[in-house]
Amino acid sequence: MRSFLNLFGPSPFTALQLHMQIVSRCVQLLEDLFSAIDARDFIQSASIAESIRKLEHQADIVKNDIRNHLPKSIFLPIDRSNLLEILSMQDHLADNAESVADLVTMKNLPLPEPLKADFMLFLKMSIKTFKTVEEIISELGELLEFSFGGVEAEKVKALVNDTSMKERETNIALRGLLKGLFNIEEDLSYGSFYLWVRIIEGITEISKLSERLSSRVRMTLESE
Amino acid sequence: MTLEFVLMGLVIIAGFYMAWNIGANDVANAMGTSVGSGALTLRQAVLVAAVLEFSGAFFFGSAVSETIQTGIIDPNSFASQPLTLACGMLACLIAAGVWLQIASYYGWPVSTTHTIVGAVIGFGLVFGGTDAIQWNNVSYIASSWLVSPLLGGVLAFLLFSLLKKVIFRAKDPIGACKRIAPVLVAMMVAIVLPMLLFSHSGKYEPSFLQGVFICLASGAISAYLSLLALRRTFVKGRSAAHPQMVVMAQMESAQHALLQATPLLPLSMQEKLCNLTEEIDNLKHEAKLQLSESVPDTHAQHMLVEKVFGFLQIMSACMMAFAHGTNDVSNAIGPLAAAISILQNGKLVLNEAIPTWVFALGASGIVIGLATWGWRVIETIGKKITELTPTRGFAAEFGTALTIILASRLGMPVSTTHTLVGAVIGVGIGGGMGALNLNVAKEIFISWVVTIPAGAGLTIFFYYLISTFVSV
Repeated sequence: MRSFLNLFGPSPFTALQLHMQIVSRCVQLLEDLFSAIDARDFIQSASIAESIRKLEHQADIVKNDIRNHLPKSIFLPIDRSNLLEILSMQDHLADNAESVADLVTMKNLPLPEPLKADFMLFLKMSIKTFKTVEEIISELGELLEFSFGGVEAEKVKALVNDTSMKERETNIALRGLLKGLFNIEEDLSYGSFYLWVRIIEGITEISKLSERLSSRVRMTLESE
Repeated sequence: MTLEFVLMGLVIIAGFYMAWNIGANDVANAMGTSVGSGALTLRQAVLVAAVLEFSGAFFFGSAVSETIQTGIIDPNSFASQPLTLACGMLACLIAAGVWLQIASYYGWPVSTTHTIVGAVIGFGLVFGGTDAIQWNNVSYIASSWLVSPLLGGVLAFLLFSLLKKVIFRAKDPIGACKRIAPVLVAMMVAIVLPMLLFSHSGKYEPSFLQGVFICLASGAISAYLSLLALRRTFVKGRSAAHPQMVVMAQMESAQHALLQATPLLPLSMQEKLCNLTEEIDNLKHEAKLQLSESVPDTHAQHMLVEKVFGFLQIMSACMMAFAHGTNDVSNAIGPLAAAISILQNGKLVLNEAIPTWVFALGASGIVIGLATWGWRVIETIGKKITELTPTRGFAAEFGTALTIILASRLGMPVSTTHTLVGAVIGVGIGGGMGALNLNVAKEIFISWVVTIPAGAGLTIFFYYLISTFVSV
């Protein structure tokens, strides 16, 4: 009878959802991070950055565990490469959050007052895009039940459209922010300017990746 | 005490032990999936198994038992030395019991059916020569071992694909579920009933027309009853189509159609079309905001569908227990009946019905094994299989039970476990399972190759052991 039990392999879908939960905590800490920066509390920001790094490492551990337990002999209801791509993209999200945290804590980098409103809006939009794709991943269990089709697939498709919508809005916010940044370029040191450009790039990458991840999930759906 | 009397006693004990073993280790495979999915509690599973295994074994186990009793070894080949055959049957039972104990200790996927058949063939070959075996029966049996997992898989695949198409792809899963459940109930009743009615083992043998009528009528009645039951359980009506999603889908197809047309048009028009598609995109976004946020609660729908199938799975669990009883009891009482026939008649008599008390012995052995040890194994399996939700479990169990009942009807001894594995893989191929470890199929192949020589070898060993005490 043990052979019968061995038939059921560990479900990668629940593992994916677990991984996403860790990534989510990691990415959403960015909001706290930049609030601390805005309040010029550099000790707090350093400790939040440390938490982000820890979470990213945890995510890596879970990712490797999933990859180690998906040999070719495991039969999956969707394309194996799709599943692995989804995992990889999720992990990149955490990686991006970590590199943003590293950049911000490279030195004591205060948030320039004229940029504050635009920046916070931009950050918020990017994280909203992420949250939408997080919702998609949390629907994976239901998708499995409905065999990646039917009403559930329609629901996920609507969420995918939503994610692209939000990504576009993030880009609009990005353009406004960059304009503002170039307006004050004389007031910033070269180092600080460079860091802000890289930070903004990292946050943009989060929303871009979220949109790509949502498309990947869309590709696993069976209906039109 | 005469030799025959002692041998008779030993054979009965061995047969009972074999039956106990089946109840203790094998029944769990039949019932574990229902406990794992939550369709039955452990208590209910044990009760269902007790009642239905007994009925299956007692009332419908004869075809397969006769195959093992007189269908493998040619009775005439041992006509001059009937006691040899009787001791051989005893050796088979002991060997099979021992092999199964070893295999469960190490967790090997060994089948009771394969073991006992291997043991009987082994004994016949070694002590009777190649002429002692009825090779065309054996080849039928061997092919049934190959066909049963495949058939179980195909049936489960078809059934789950049906469920996928009708329920999970529907706009209204709950409504679809309510419509199809009575049909499935009717199917179960209408397919299983003829196999039982026309099995020649009951005293009541209806005519073909009577049989058809009974099946259709019971199918219709059970369908109607389930319809009533469903109506009472769900006060919630059907899930209405959601305006937001309908609009989204329609706008997307408009967009798609325009994009299809674009390459066919001259460049000047292509730009205009692209602007149009962009407009539609913006409208989609606005529509989402304007329409009510009535996203369907798919999770609730999912729960309800599984709840309905929880009930259906109770029926398929009954089918499983019953089917298992019809097929596996023969593993215990086949050799037992052969030995008894020899000891009572001086030789192995063909076409003599196996006495009722032998069936009673086998059936109660199974139930006692279940009650004393088997429930623990069911509990273990049930705790570990949580991936098999009722819809999937139902499809797998229905496919398995149908295959096994068919096999029992044809007198073919097959492995319940292997058929169930085939069925679950069938459901997996239909897209129903999260992850299936196909290495199990490899393990099963290996167990086929190993079990038969092992069973044969142990039988020979035990025969020599017995023959030192008995002069044959």
